[in-house]
Parts: sequence; structure tokens; C-alpha cells
Amino acid sequence: MSKLFPTQEIGSLKKPSWLLKSVKNPDISNKEKIKARNNAALENIKTLEDLGLDIVYDGEVRRVEMYEEPVRYIKGFEFAGRIRSWDNKYYNKARITGPVNYKKNFHENEFKFVKENTKKEIKVPVTGAYTLADWSYNEYYKSKEELVIALAKKVLRPLIKDLVKLGAKVVQIDEPAGTSHPSEMDIFRESINESVKGVNAKIVVHACFSGNDYKVLAPQMSEIKAQQYTLEFANRDTWNLGSSDKARKGFQVLKLFKEYGFKGEIGIGVTDVHVDDVESPELVRDRILYAAKALGDPTKIYVNPDCGLRTRTRTVAFNKIRSLVQGAELARQRLK
Amino acid sequence: MISSYTLGIYPRSEELIEATRKHTSNLSSLFQKETKGYITQQKKAKLGYVSDPLLRWDDIFRPFSQLKSVKPAALNRIYEMNTFYRKLSFENGIASSGKIIKSNLAMSLLPKNRAVCMPEPYTFADRHLSSKHKNKDEFVLELAKMLHKEALTLVEAGFKLIQLVGPSIAYNNKINFNLVKEGLDILTRGVKAKTILHFYFGDVSKKIDRLLDLPVSGLGFDTTTTPISAIKKHSFSGKSLAIGLVNSYTTKIENKNKSISEINQIVSKTRPKEVFVSTNFDLEYIPKKFANEKILVLGEIARGVKDV
Repeated sequence: MSKLFPTQEIGSLKKPSWLLKSVKNPDISNKEKIKARNNAALENIKTLEDLGLDIVYDGEVRRVEMYEEPVRYIKGFEFAGRIRSWDNKYYNKARITGPVNYKKNFHENEFKFVKENTKKEIKVPVTGAYTLADWSYNEYYKSKEELVIALAKKVLRPLIKDLVKLGAKVVQIDEPAGTSHPSEMDIFRESINESVKGVNAKIVVHACFSGNDYKVLAPQMSEIKAQQYTLEFANRDTWNLGSSDKARKGFQVLKLFKEYGFKGEIGIGVTDVHVDDVESPELVRDRILYAAKALGDPTKIYVNPDCGLRTRTRTVAFNKIRSLVQGAELARQRLK
Repeated sequence: MISSYTLGIYPRSEELIEATRKHTSNLSSLFQKETKGYITQQKKAKLGYVSDPLLRWDDIFRPFSQLKSVKPAALNRIYEMNTFYRKLSFENGIASSGKIIKSNLAMSLLPKNRAVCMPEPYTFADRHLSSKHKNKDEFVLELAKMLHKEALTLVEAGFKLIQLVGPSIAYNNKINFNLVKEGLDILTRGVKAKTILHFYFGDVSKKIDRLLDLPVSGLGFDTTTTPISAIKKHSFSGKSLAIGLVNSYTTKIENKNKSISEINQIVSKTRPKEVFVSTNFDLEYIPKKFANEKILVLGEIARGVKDV
């Protein structure tokens, strides 16, 4: 992208309550439900456009959740039941009971709809092979590595290729579990590389913060065939203004990426998705300017929230995105 | 036959998850009913020790958020699991009456052969925060004093076995064993119950010699992370051994005969004072229907093992 600090979302937004009422209502016809989903997707696309994001998607409004949605369409998985994520938040965990295989492009309709309804650049998120494996019970493959690579080759690769055939130019592989097992980073690296083999598109990898500050990711970044990483920084940064190391402690690891010779793009998380307080545009600006300096090349910096904003209300989420867009503009002005 | 027990938190049923989410009017009775159901299941399986399934506990540390001096902080990943716990911040020291755990148990539903689970001090300090204590050592020892009070209350309430969970001892590469020992020494002093220290989420093969020195009645191992071959190399004479062979991280049900044979082999090599078979960690990592099956198979395995 030609402009400095392009802005983007990570993926998910909270679903509008009217949509949930509609899709859960047994008296509403399937046709009406499809219409409701289209309306919700359109509302998200237009809102994100109006807020000024440069790269958009539909807030993953048609997906149940990032794990359960793909698992429904992959051969070899069987849902076992709900497992706690935290407190009383649960996810529907599946077990792998046979060889995994791709059945169909399960993101086809949503992608086509987004493509038809925006002129902005599109980034389509897909859940990565490593996370799908890590969040499941492996009760078929001899090892986790074998399962991960099978998912990468047999599911992710054909899915991404099908999306590219439909016109996808940027694909984000979502890997929240990506750095959660430091001893398995080689498996993680290979899972991405196998997933994108022969794919002609820009590949973005999104990995959540796992307590090791991406220190285990840094040595792998140049070896992974991705052009951009969208990562979390804001959740452990201070809210003080300024571009000092002390104020920007959440962004320190960028220096390590540089030390390891990483030359690609970083989508920096400038808004914390776990708090309702909205970061000011000035704070966003200072985070961007610090990151640009730490990485040594402002053209490599993209700007996004830490992660998907679905845990926040829509009002808070949109306020955070508005601030993010304004902060990016302030940073551009500062560098003029 | 050997003794048996489960460890930690059990899974909530789909019905209980939904009721908790909606905060339905029957929520309290549903918790009670489900707690009773799990206790009945343990009795049906003839487990040596019966535990409260801790269904109201959002994580193993959460009851301590009820202390006045504690502020709940951010969510954090439970080691490398896809489950999160709430960090607790001890901002004004540790003031406790020693009744936190007991007041969070369904006391009236538990039989006489009751067991209870609590974090050991080093793990507790490793996973939480304190701005009050000068250093980690002080924090560990203060937590040990708090847990000691808890343990005394629990013994008075009839608990015969206290499971101390120490995943940080297994997970962390560098351990200050003197500090671990000092903490456990405080915790177990004068506690008239069996104290079994459990390790999971990491391989403790190379630490077993040091662990055998700790002032607890016995050690418990997750055999999916610490290989049985490593356990077998050690003599447990004078110590109890809990073999965490029933895996809470797979829905596959254990082969009874294979498990019995493995335990017999471990026992013949290690010669412990007393043997238990247990789950490797909390059953909450599998859905309820699988947890119930595992409880039954745990009992069958225990009954199939030769007497020690």
C-alpha cells in the first residue's frame, strides 16, 4: 500500500443483537436468516469503511466462532463438548477421529459478499492449522506434528488456494495458539509454510500474545513464508504519551525482530481489546511512531487493534477503531 | 486394590454452563444437584477418596479472590493450555482467617473419606502478584502461612487427604528447591492428614531426587508428561506415590488392563509406602460425559491393582 501506516481490523466484531435474535428464532425462515446475515455483514463493512479503515472485512459476522466454524466443515473432526476458556466462557472442542480433509470452501459466500460490497482492500482471515490442532483432541494421528502438517496440506492449503481463485489478494492466517508452546515453534513454522505452498497472495500471520512476548516467534519470522505479522502490543504497554522506551514498554520486542533480521511488515496492535477504555489518537500516534523507529522502516508498519474486537461492545469497538484511524493520521502528519 | 482419587476442578454440564450464563433462578439448586451427581459417581466408582467437584470455582486460585487484601487482575493462560485463570494481586499483604477453601466446598455432601485440593505455595506465588512483599521468597512464605491455616481448618473439618498442586514446579526449568521446601514445610507443619504433591504440565524426570526430599507424604505424577520409565528409576520407600494415569486431556478412555499392568510394574520397582491412582490433572479439560466415564475406569483400575 502506498500510504504510510495503513489501517486494518484483525477480524471479529461482536454480532449485532438483532442478528442473534433473528438467527436463533425458529419461526424465521432460512431465507430471512440469510438476508439478516447479509445485512449484518453489510453494516459491518460500511461501518469499517466509514470509520476510515484502509483494509476491511465483514467482522466475521457469519462465523459461529473462529474454531467451531471451520471445524464444522472439515472431515475427520467430531465435536466432543464444551470446554472452559475462562470463567463461564466455553468453546465447543472437537476430537480428531480420522484423517482430516477439506470438503469445500467454507468461506466462499462471505468472501464473495465482501468483494461485491467494498472497493477497499480486503484481508480475509482463516483459522490456521496449528491452532485447529492445538485446540482439539488428537485421537487419530500419531503426533501433533503429523496432525498439524496434515491440516496444513489437506485443509488450509486448498482453502487458501480456493479463496485466491475467487480473488483474495491478502489472506490472514489466524494463529492464537501459535506461540503458546515454545518448544513447538518448528511445527508452527512448518504449518504456515505448508499451508501457503504454491499460494499466490500476500500472507499475513496473526498470533496472539502468549506470555513470552513473541520472543519465541522472533527467530522464526524470517523463515516463515509470510509477508506480514499482525501482533498484540497494546495490552502490555503503558497509557502514557511519548515515544520513550519506558512509555512504550509493550513495543520493545520490535527491536528483537529487527535484530533477528526480519524485513517484513508488522501490523502493530495499538488498541487493547480486553478493556473498554478507548486509547486516545495521540497515544495511538506515539505507539506508531515508536514502532516505526524501533523497526527502522515506517513503510513496514500497519496499524490494527491487538486482536479481534468481539469481546467489546460494538460501540467501544468502533470508538477504538476511530481512534486508531485518527492516530495513524496524526503519525503520518508527524512524519511529513 | 489400591486407593484412588481425582484431582481438581470438574467440567460443568451444558445445562449448568447455560444456566450460569443466563443466571437462571434455579442456578443454585443446579450447582447443588450437579455437585451431588459427581460425588455419587465417585462413590459408585468406589474411589478411595471423594472430592468436591469444585464446580463454582472458575480456577483453582479463584476462591482466594474473596480475601479483602486481594484484587483480581488480568486473565492469563494456564501454562500452555487454551484455558485462562485470573491473576490475583495481593496489594495489602495476606490477611486470612484460613477458612476460604472450606467455605467454598459443599461440606454437607462429602462423605468421611474426603480429599481436597489446593495450590502449593511456590506455584501460587509463581502465578500471582504482590506489591506488598519485598521479593518472591517472602511472597511464597507468606502464602505458605495462609495455606497452612487453610490446611488446619480442612483437617478439622474431616479431610483425610490434601492434594497440593504444583504445576509450576513441573513447568519451570529453574526451581529454587530450598524455597519450595521451606514453603511446604510451613504448610504441612502439624497437619494431620496425608499431603500429596502433584506435578503436571511439565516433565519432572530430572527433578525427582529433589522432590523426594520435600516435606510431604507423597508425590503425584502426570504420566503423560513425566514418563513412567523415569518414575520407575526411583525408590519411594517412606513416601506415598500417586500415579496420574487417567488422562484428563483426551476423551479416549483408558484401557483398564494395560493401566493395571503399568501400575503393578511401577509399584514393584518403586516400592512406595502407599499407592494411589489418580487423574493426571483437573477433569475439566474434557466434557462431562467423558469425565464420568473416566471416574468409573479410575475406580476399576484401582481395584485391579495388587495390594502393596
